[in-house]
Amino acid sequence: MDGTPELPPSDEEIVKLTISDKEHFGVLVDRYQAKLTRYIARLGVRDPEDQSDVLQDIFLKTYRNINGFDTSLKFSSWVYRIAHNEAISWYRKKNVRPEGHLIADGEEVISFLSAKEDAADVVFDQGINAEVLNRALLQLDNKYREVIILRFFEHKEYDEISDILKIPVGSVGTLLHRGKKQLQNVLNTEKLRI
Amino acid sequence: MKKPDQNENNLKDALFKRIESEQVCPKSRFFFLCRECSVWLFWVLSVVVGAMAVAVSLFVVMNRQYAFYEATHDNWLTFMVEALPYLWFLVFGLMAYFATFNIRHTVRGYRYPAWMIVGSSVAMSVVVGVLLQASDLGHVVDNALGTHIKMYMSQEKMEQKLWQAPAEGRLLGQRVFEDTVPSTTVVFVDVDGGRWVMDVSELNERDLTLLATQKIVRLIGRSSDVDSGRFYACGAFPWMMDRAMSLEEMRYERDMFIKRMREHADEIEIRAGVPERAELVASSTNKSVCASIQSVRRMPAKEADR
Repeated sequence: MDGTPELPPSDEEIVKLTISDKEHFGVLVDRYQAKLTRYIARLGVRDPEDQSDVLQDIFLKTYRNINGFDTSLKFSSWVYRIAHNEAISWYRKKNVRPEGHLIADGEEVISFLSAKEDAADVVFDQGINAEVLNRALLQLDNKYREVIILRFFEHKEYDEISDILKIPVGSVGTLLHRGKKQLQNVLNTEKLRI
Repeated sequence: MKKPDQNENNLKDALFKRIESEQVCPKSRFFFLCRECSVWLFWVLSVVVGAMAVAVSLFVVMNRQYAFYEATHDNWLTFMVEALPYLWFLVFGLMAYFATFNIRHTVRGYRYPAWMIVGSSVAMSVVVGVLLQASDLGHVVDNALGTHIKMYMSQEKMEQKLWQAPAEGRLLGQRVFEDTVPSTTVVFVDVDGGRWVMDVSELNERDLTLLATQKIVRLIGRSSDVDSGRFYACGAFPWMMDRAMSLEEMRYERDMFIKRMREHADEIEIRAGVPERAELVASSTNKSVCASIQSVRRMPAKEADR
């Protein structure tokens, strides 16, 4: 023994194992269930039963398409993309718009505030609390809210967001920039209302 | 309330149960490979069809008979409006859209900005189209479509339509050698099978040589009465649709056309009494019919006259 602790297998390695034995897929489910539950909730799937259905669909789709996983991507980006698409088709199927749900809890607002990003400065400068921030985020256009959620609350890098939303990296930057501006406007309006 | 671990296990159990009961199997690698290949194949197809559109557009634009536009149209603008191959522009636009759509749907297509995807597809089509046209494929495609599709107006059909218009002083056809009286007339058969007794007294040596080849030629002139089958010829020009023409050849024909029309226009000056042309007037036995035809009147003023 060389004393180096053995690292757990990466997602990508588990994908390879899953192709030969489906039992390994359970490991991926364990790793991503909580993250994806939180993510689809942020996208608008609030009801726990709906969440469970959507999650099952996400993992089934992931399993069914496991051979199509492009190894140049991160597995997490790929599974988030599937989750994103499933959440969207869920609320299209239900014919509802994503509505009032908690995008960020108190802890996440603190993390958001500590991010060295313009949007965080905007929020910090105005002494915004979680509730006001959530309300403001809900008023953003979908395309802006999606990138802000992925960037600030799911802590994804630009290239990961690009892979999840299937848009060029440059567009991620543009959407974030515009999203921050819109957030600033909404927060200003909120402040006046308060 | 369920504990988180319990929830996780519930989901996993339910998931595996569904996998078992619905006999869910991962789609084969071959399926994804085929899907990716088909998207690329459609992209290649879009680029090739787009390239053909470019080739035919180039052929049409380069071979529309600019050389003789004053003979068929009032001005260059009205000529261009009719000359542009709108159908092929539309096909090219559609193919550029499909090519972009297909690239976007490849595994990594979304990573590239729209301008790069559109630009590369359009550039590929243009480059391939230019190469295809260089090997005369535009002509071949245009001709083949014109032959097999009745509705399709090929370049050749369009030129025939424009030039087989006796009432407007244009004829398309070939000379037939038959004895005629007087000797300044010849027999001419147009592409619709109409026979014409043609007065060639104002044709020059080049015109007559061209007519003597018995190849299809374009004629400019005047037909006072279409039913009478008499046509007064003012110029003969090669058909040029039976082979690919180089730009130099087109330019040469344009120069010849302008020169020919100016010669007729000079007759107007003669009749207007330009002193230095007086002796020409004296040698002229009859008044020029050609001096007043529309093509001559449409000729732009000479540089020296401006």
